[in-house]
Amino acid sequence: MRASGKILLVDDDADFLEMHKAVLQNHGYEVFTAMSGQEGLERVRTEMPDLIILDLMMEKHDAGFSFSRTIKTDPLFKRIPILMVTSVAEATGHRFSLEEDGYWMKTDDFLDKPVMPAVLLERVAKLLSEKEEKP
Amino acid sequence: MSTPANILVVDDEMGIREGCRRVLAAEGYPIDLAEDGTVGLAKVQEKPYDLILVDLMMPGIGGLDLIQKIHEIDPEIILVVITGYATIETAVEATKRGAYDYLPKPFTPEALSVLVKRGLEKRELRLQALRLQEEREQRLLELAGERGRLRTIIGCMADGVLVTNLERQLVLWNASAVRMLKLSGADEPGRAIDHYLKNKPLLESLEHLLEAKDETVSMINQEIRTDDPSSVLMAQMAPVRDEQGRLLGAVTVLRDITTLKEIEKIKSQFVSMVAHELRAPLAAIEGWLGVVLSGEAGGSEEQNRNWLLRAKERANSLLALVQDLLEINKIEAGKVAQKMEAVQVTDIVAKVVELFKPEAERHHVSLQVKPSSPPPVQADVQDMEKLFTNLISNAIKYNVENGSVTIETSQDAHFVGVHIRDTGIGIAPADLPRLFDDFFRAETKKRDKVSGTGLGLTIAKKIVDSHLGHIEVESRVDKGSTFSVYLPYKK
Repeated sequence: MRASGKILLVDDDADFLEMHKAVLQNHGYEVFTAMSGQEGLERVRTEMPDLIILDLMMEKHDAGFSFSRTIKTDPLFKRIPILMVTSVAEATGHRFSLEEDGYWMKTDDFLDKPVMPAVLLERVAKLLSEKEEKP
Repeated sequence: MSTPANILVVDDEMGIREGCRRVLAAEGYPIDLAEDGTVGLAKVQEKPYDLILVDLMMPGIGGLDLIQKIHEIDPEIILVVITGYATIETAVEATKRGAYDYLPKPFTPEALSVLVKRGLEKRELRLQALRLQEEREQRLLELAGERGRLRTIIGCMADGVLVTNLERQLVLWNASAVRMLKLSGADEPGRAIDHYLKNKPLLESLEHLLEAKDETVSMINQEIRTDDPSSVLMAQMAPVRDEQGRLLGAVTVLRDITTLKEIEKIKSQFVSMVAHELRAPLAAIEGWLGVVLSGEAGGSEEQNRNWLLRAKERANSLLALVQDLLEINKIEAGKVAQKMEAVQVTDIVAKVVELFKPEAERHHVSLQVKPSSPPPVQADVQDMEKLFTNLISNAIKYNVENGSVTIETSQDAHFVGVHIRDTGIGIAPADLPRLFDDFFRAETKKRDKVSGTGLGLTIAKKIVDSHLGHIEVESRVDKGSTFSVYLPYKK
């Protein structure tokens, strides 16, 4: 059975955009891409995705954070789950948390780059089904 | 007594003189005789005597005066006064003035020899005491010298030294400690440490060390900040114990670690930067391999091949990055790696331009060098090749279709200038100040299409700096950039 759902990828590294897109599309997801936070916000408005996969550390260092904050504080978009991916969490000291605790950054899920295709697919399916269950 | 004592008899009565001589010579003492005070005094000045018998009642210099004069020459000589009954009071007065004892006339030979013997024993005791005192004084002098040396050595140390006793008094310190901690009133010693030192963390640690009577605390290493925000000190506090292990106080050694801290900070910045720059391409390579190997993207053979090529590209850029990092390290290692010789920069430029001709053609960019012959500069040939490779490569890569790169030289009183002018995309004014920073790549529409490590201009600047030159850039967006390198030459 082919999966379904609209996924927005936001990453400033073209390689990651393409590889994640190839895997997700092959499994039946509809995929949109954006190379900056700004472009990502426009895509969220026009496409209303079911899930966002976001690279935290884009070239402008807080671009990932402010993008995430904007989505999560907008009543229209805050229910869209965000899967954070990054390759530099350890180096920069950024840590994520699934719960709000004021110190770690809250997000719906997070993965370290590189994300292996099987893991990516599993997390995406999980986040989408959780979203379905919520009222 | 190993050598017999020298005895002098001063008396105006010949009978007494001769009597004494007979009695004392029989006992084995060498005897000299003097018939009055003047002769006696002359003999004392010539020869050291251990004991002198002095008649109090003599013409010329009187006995009392003679006692005083003899003691001025040697205060340790034993003086025995010979006196008649009539002058017994004067004899008492004489003992008050320093005579050892008196012998009333007439006296028996036994009385004389007993008194002389006792006097000489006294003399020996006095001399011994004197020797001991001299020795002690000598040792004290040495000790004082030792302490002075210690103070001088500690005073010359670049590290600060503070010694505190159990009563929390500052007992020893040096000028470096005064300077580092800005100790106040250190010219008046011996007061409690907190009178001089106001640094709370340091005082607390000292207290902690001095409170621990047992051997649990062996040493405290602590970073200390002072009022001067730019300086960081490392304080090493150790207990001072005697041979039985009893705590006597604490010695604190202070080292200025400001430079060390700065290096540490630069290092950690560098590591975090490298982690980012190395991990991103590695993750991309790993990612592509995962996509192809897992088959989860369902790619055709051609697609898979394409994705592997993408991975290869990232691997290449990673390799270039490592190469550049090694290059930077080589430049920073300094003159060791440089071979400075007279170099004609136009020769180097011509060689590099030749190498880049195919690449320029591929980009449809024309390469021109305006002929000139500036004076030679002192430079490392390899460094110069790397420098102009980086600058000319940038001028081609960030150019536009049918653009051009023009290279010309200039010369003023001190510098030869090489100007590389392109007609490319240019650099935004906001990006110019960061252009030579590590890993910085200006945000242009070509940035993502052109591969680069973000270290090319960092390397260029480091090379120019190491040659005591300078590099400048002028740029207008969509018009082009001119990079100018100025290298000093000898007239």
